[in-house]
Amino acid sequence: MRQYTRLLDVLDRVESGPLVEESQWDMRLVPNEVAKLLAEYEIKMKPVSEAIVLADDALADRLFAAGLALAERLGAYCVSTNRRIRFSRAEILAVLEVAPNEVTIGDGNDRHTERKRRPEDPSFVTIKGGGVGTPVPEDLYLAVTQSYAQEPLVDAVINCTLERVYGREIRSRSPWEVLVGWHEAELSKAACKRAGRPGLALGCVENAVSDISELSASSYGGFSPNDWHHVAMISEFKTDYMALSKLTHAIRTGSIVHAFYNTIYGGSCGGREGMALAIVGGCILLQMLYMTNTHSVSPAHPFFDNDTTPEIMQAISLGQQALARNSRLLTDVVITPVGGPGSKTLLHECAAMAIMSAASGACGIIGPRSGAGIHSAHVSGLEARFTAEVARAAAGMSRQDADVLVRKLVTLYQPELNTRPVGQSFTEVYDPITVTPRPAWLETYEQVKGELRDLGLALR
Amino acid sequence: MSLTEAQRQDMQAQLKAAIDDADERAGVALAQAALTAGITPIELFRDVTQPVLKEIGDAFARLDVFLPDLMRAGLVVKTMQLEVLEPAIRQSGSASGSAGTVVIGTAQGDIHDIGKNMVALMLQVNGFKVVDLGTNVSPQGFLDAARREHADMIAMSALLTPTLPYIKDVVRRLESFGERGQFLLIAGGAPITRAWAQEAGLDGFGEDAIEAVALCQQLMQRRKELRQ
Repeated sequence: MRQYTRLLDVLDRVESGPLVEESQWDMRLVPNEVAKLLAEYEIKMKPVSEAIVLADDALADRLFAAGLALAERLGAYCVSTNRRIRFSRAEILAVLEVAPNEVTIGDGNDRHTERKRRPEDPSFVTIKGGGVGTPVPEDLYLAVTQSYAQEPLVDAVINCTLERVYGREIRSRSPWEVLVGWHEAELSKAACKRAGRPGLALGCVENAVSDISELSASSYGGFSPNDWHHVAMISEFKTDYMALSKLTHAIRTGSIVHAFYNTIYGGSCGGREGMALAIVGGCILLQMLYMTNTHSVSPAHPFFDNDTTPEIMQAISLGQQALARNSRLLTDVVITPVGGPGSKTLLHECAAMAIMSAASGACGIIGPRSGAGIHSAHVSGLEARFTAEVARAAAGMSRQDADVLVRKLVTLYQPELNTRPVGQSFTEVYDPITVTPRPAWLETYEQVKGELRDLGLALR
Repeated sequence: MSLTEAQRQDMQAQLKAAIDDADERAGVALAQAALTAGITPIELFRDVTQPVLKEIGDAFARLDVFLPDLMRAGLVVKTMQLEVLEPAIRQSGSASGSAGTVVIGTAQGDIHDIGKNMVALMLQVNGFKVVDLGTNVSPQGFLDAARREHADMIAMSALLTPTLPYIKDVVRRLESFGERGQFLLIAGGAPITRAWAQEAGLDGFGEDAIEAVALCQQLMQRRKELRQ
């Protein structure tokens, strides 16, 4: 990969940038720079009651310019060395010019190419289905993963995490973490084989809390370089030796890198506008730091842990539009709903996010991480199928039409969020032996599809 | 002396302005003027600082204000406490107006800190003395800091499931060393549930930053009642 040639340069800067105390970074540098840039570039979004999917190209372009300025003026921060990592504007522009605008993941017949999309693009969004780190018991892991892998519209799988390994408690940065990384590789690969898709790309290593699990489970016999290997940037705009070690290993093994950064609504970057700026600046910095193939920024709600509230959706939508209109970067949206399997709330949230993502120019959709990804085995493949179907139906839709649909869907699920309808666990909504949805869950799925057709979505 | 309603309103307005402007010096000047006027540190905390901080905390709970606003409030009030009020309290020998001392950190193996930072700030703006140990704190690190700071409470944060065993280790160590009764133990973070906290032997669990503050206040109140 041509962009990987910058690894040593990044590592050098991690050791030589200006020294800054972490508290200064968190408390002063980030919030001050974000506030300054929002004012300077006049980033002001309409109230969410008026629009969630905005269709203001000038605003999207100003947001991109502000994100570029954020990457240049702020840079990133390495927690391990307490140093700022700075890049000049010329360096950033040179990197963005050659950043990959397509990537092929997976092996053999199951390869899939994710491509650049633009707002209102008629091409299909790549679907990376899975529970995104949701904890799952060992005895269900194979069936849960298979439930996603067997869905024809799912282009890649994003793994859940194992709650225990061989019945033992998992401790981060211990031999147990090494073992669980291997177990994740064995079970998820077996699930893909059982589904008849042995080469399907896996989002990994989800159990890699630290670098040791990634380094071990993506060595010989484990995950393949053509799986998509995760490297995180810590909120806000921070990295450390663990993330950089994962990255270094991924690059030296020629692996595909998926980097992510999850800013927090109401955190150091502030509200809707701050989140939107963090999404754009964050993706540019992910590319600068990690030379990544695909990027995702999924803001989290501080109280619900989700990203389906209208404020967060509005920020994601505008951030995606800014990046889609002005860069080659491959950007994904992670769906983290509050609702869980068996609930209509989950499907309404997934539909709103899928429509918003497709119309805003997102290249991929990751998830859904049902029940906010925190309830044991509260995930199933059917919600990924549903999300894929909605995203396909929404491809080519105008942002104005998408906004009408999204706002209608939000009115359906928003009143439910306070009750946290986490739904049912995998065994309640699927037969774990045949790995098929149970009739009640299928009926709910069909009902919501009917509702969407009534709202005017051309679902098959 | 007690503050008149007019004084209370005027000083609250001054403190709000200092926080809005992130003007630590204006906060310090306000505290000095209050002491000169004969207002005690406790009265200033009860009638001026606490109501203003509560208002900001409530606004954060509604997401009308955000973390940078909390940070400004924390910064101004902390400077007032450090430069003016704590020296005055030490000089007069009177009891501290602190709601309690909390040692806080993200558990071993986890480097996520935004949630922990929010709780730390919310505790600070609600009158707690907060000692932030940062991230990836070992079980022994929590214990050492709690002993050193004579803490009332150890608050542990975790975003990742494999860090949970290290929170249990803190409980086990305190039990083994015969110090469990000395410190209140609470935890919060995405993988932590009320049931898990109970099973782990913690004193409480906070769903979010707002609930964490209410929990700390309740636990401190109960502790004071038990000690009376």
